[in-house]
Amino acid sequence: MAFNTILEMDGSDAKITLSGELDASVAEQFKTTVEEAATHKPRNLVLFLNNLEFMASAGLRVLVFAKQKMGQEVSMYVVGAHGPVLNTLQVSGFHQAVHLQNSYP
Amino acid sequence: MDMQALTVPARLDQLVEMRRYVQAVGKQAGLPEDATYKLALAVDELATNIVLHGYQEHGLSGDIILSAVTEDEAMSIIMEDRGAAFDPATRPMPSAEELNKPLEERRIGGLGIFLALNSVDDFSYQRLGEVNRNTLTMKRGKA
Repeated sequence: MAFNTILEMDGSDAKITLSGELDASVAEQFKTTVEEAATHKPRNLVLFLNNLEFMASAGLRVLVFAKQKMGQEVSMYVVGAHGPVLNTLQVSGFHQAVHLQNSYP
Repeated sequence: MDMQALTVPARLDQLVEMRRYVQAVGKQAGLPEDATYKLALAVDELATNIVLHGYQEHGLSGDIILSAVTEDEAMSIIMEDRGAAFDPATRPMPSAEELNKPLEERRIGGLGIFLALNSVDDFSYQRLGEVNRNTLTMKRGKA
């Protein structure tokens, strides 16, 4: 499935829903969405990965970029990561660096 | 039976073609889905590196050729390219300390080859004349 991102502002939450396959050829699209989210100065960045089928390190790099762009005061949530995508986050130590959860209120 | 090789131009928009190839040969070899995903991830990461650092960074263009070898105990994907010589196994892996750092303090790069080599059961690199040959192996019947 082709990669897609949807950004939705919900109060102080910037919610980005990712779907499809996230590799180096489409990571820029994700980065652009994060940059747009940053312009709204959210308190929380919430990424929904339920429908993300594949994620390469290019996706991890955007997560690092997002945190460094938005700063320490913005909390990052990764919601609904499962299977091999979750495994990649864990192997790379990202499960300790973000709030990894099954759902977001 | 070994599947026909896949030749694609070394461009990032071909990553999906390479993943589809690995998925098809993994399925044909009866490799579990988890193992096939890991093999596809490893190929994706190395291919990304070959495109960006093996070819583009040196002003080169060319192809990446994938072929598959299925044996009783294991299946391998062989990747060949004519970009700059590069043995991924010589690249230093991130330390446990680096992997435990908060994202604010992380380096942006350096995870691709780590993920690739961490995903497969065996890896080897050969430089054959002008060709880089990366061989990625998964044991069969193992996730």
